[in-house]
Amino acid sequence: MSSAAPPLLRVDGLSVDIAVPAGTLHAVTDAGFDVRPGETLCVVGESGCGKTMTSLALMRLLPRAARIAAGRVAFEGRDLLDLLDAEMADLRGNRLAMIFQDPMTSLNPVFTIGAQLEEVYRRHRAAGAREARERAEYLLQRIGIMSPGLRLRQFPHQLSGGLRQRMMIAMALMCSPSLIIADEPTTALDVTVQVQILRLLAELQREFGMALILITHNLGVVARIADKVAVMYGGRIVEAGQAADIFRRPAHPYTQALLDCVPAPGRSKADGRLGSIPGRVPSLIGEVRGCMFRNRCTYARSTCAADDIPLRADARGHTARCVLEAVP
Amino acid sequence: MTPVLELRGVSRRYAIRKGWFARPAELLAARDVSLDVRRGEVLAIVGETGSGKTTLGRMILGLTEPSAGEIRLDGKPLASVGRRSRSRRIQPVFQDPYSSLNPRQTIGQIIAMPLHVHRIGAAGERQRAVRQMMERVGLSPALVHSYPSQLSGGQRQRVAIARALVGQPEILVCDEPTSALDVSVQGQILNLLKDLQQSLNLTYVFITHDLAVVEYLADRVAVMYLGRIVELGTTRAMMTAPRHPYTQALLGSVLTPEPGLGLPDLHLGRGFPDPLNPPPGCPFHPRCPSATDVCRERAPDVTPTDAGFVTCHVQPAQTPTECDVSERRLVC
Repeated sequence: MSSAAPPLLRVDGLSVDIAVPAGTLHAVTDAGFDVRPGETLCVVGESGCGKTMTSLALMRLLPRAARIAAGRVAFEGRDLLDLLDAEMADLRGNRLAMIFQDPMTSLNPVFTIGAQLEEVYRRHRAAGAREARERAEYLLQRIGIMSPGLRLRQFPHQLSGGLRQRMMIAMALMCSPSLIIADEPTTALDVTVQVQILRLLAELQREFGMALILITHNLGVVARIADKVAVMYGGRIVEAGQAADIFRRPAHPYTQALLDCVPAPGRSKADGRLGSIPGRVPSLIGEVRGCMFRNRCTYARSTCAADDIPLRADARGHTARCVLEAVP
Repeated sequence: MTPVLELRGVSRRYAIRKGWFARPAELLAARDVSLDVRRGEVLAIVGETGSGKTTLGRMILGLTEPSAGEIRLDGKPLASVGRRSRSRRIQPVFQDPYSSLNPRQTIGQIIAMPLHVHRIGAAGERQRAVRQMMERVGLSPALVHSYPSQLSGGQRQRVAIARALVGQPEILVCDEPTSALDVSVQGQILNLLKDLQQSLNLTYVFITHDLAVVEYLADRVAVMYLGRIVELGTTRAMMTAPRHPYTQALLGSVLTPEPGLGLPDLHLGRGFPDPLNPPPGCPFHPRCPSATDVCRERAPDVTPTDAGFVTCHVQPAQTPTECDVSERRLVC
């Protein structure tokens, strides 16, 4: 997309540690990426790869046991990690907003939808009740909700899953943020609704010029909406680049294996078997070194256990952290 | 092929309390479902949350009684078969291997449970059967004394499958057995289920919302919407020439990992029906791109097709979506 524009968000060397009884869990290690205005970055990976911790770190909403061990998060010219809590609270929901995975637990059950939507606007825009209500009604109309006035008076439990997820989107849009972070926003939804919600997000993103970081494990979703992709494994970004490059020429054995696993009509292998990756995700507790994928990798060799896995990059900015020159 | 299971006009009602003094509302989770399951086939039941597919599975397992209609196992009413002999022949595999295994029992105890319940074999034979079954599903026999918490999600689902199969049932009801697993593990479990089905000549009722899984595994597909089966047919027919607009939308929603195609336009309305207050006429009409006046007034009849049926007044030719999934990629 607009590759000339300066990045809206630039993350450098981000590491997140979590204190667990057995020691320190290195949830995210040395993650770096940037997002330009209006761009869509998809962060892909399986459960436990650190993608949710990365997004919570950007929002500074990490659970108490977790802490940012290192890194810089430059957003609109400021380092988010240097801000006071109050300054961060002024940005959150205002310039950057988050859509959580489960709309049932992230909406407050004892307040109406309207109260929750309007609170954001009143807090950040110092707007009155009527102005906030008008903004909420406008957005609900924009996201295709019939009778917005009625919906705003309802409580979360009175809405279906698809409607609640739309409300989360509306809430994130209230103050027209420049960046939205969406953590698995459609995972709990049905496939037809998933497509409708993703189209809606893409449409609103174009209209309001927002950048989007979408956290997901669904490679089908990624292929259809991402400009850029970052693949995470074991808390590290193992491959990153333009979406088309990642899908057509995966440069890391993990990305390649993951793509082979996706069942899709007409994509079963010739022998009628589905792909899978043997073994299990390594523990991230204690000292971790070398390539985290090596114990499941077909191409693993002795150099994979070394500390300095080279970062290979091509002219198009497609990077992969792997000892192999190229994936066979 | 004789049907091993027959469902005749099966309905299930739930009373939903809306308040202390309000009359309970009625939710029809399954509505007049008629269906045959043939011996040795994989029948997939597809539909969205709240479409009644889990309720249907539970009724086949005997965990929920139908409010109306009848389920027959080998021609005999399921209600008269008795719990013990029914569970000997029909076994479940549930979605979440984290909550469907007893955390305080070892893997060996969990898998041996059906043998205890049905008093099959002496202690030594049971142990042997458990070990054989563990090997068969790809679990190292060394795990026999482990607890579920020590296993990964994929391993736990293998335990659930071993437990279901150790008593040598004929029918497995699998309710979304892979949707709680990571993509890298899903394939292993689906491959295993397919191998076991073929080598043991099992019958599967396979509940899922993932059409890619259906294509891989199923012989026939029943599509449910708001408690009804709206279309039934062979997997091949449903994947290449679906006749119900909802089946067409489901097929159009499959996002294959191909960059640059964008998101399909399903042409679906956004008015989601309330299961407590289903719309008159065809239940799908508020979202249907092809709905006409008759769809709004009268529920469609069951129209037989080559290998099943469809309930739709219009039965439109498949509307090509923006990035046409049906033509470009379906190789059946």
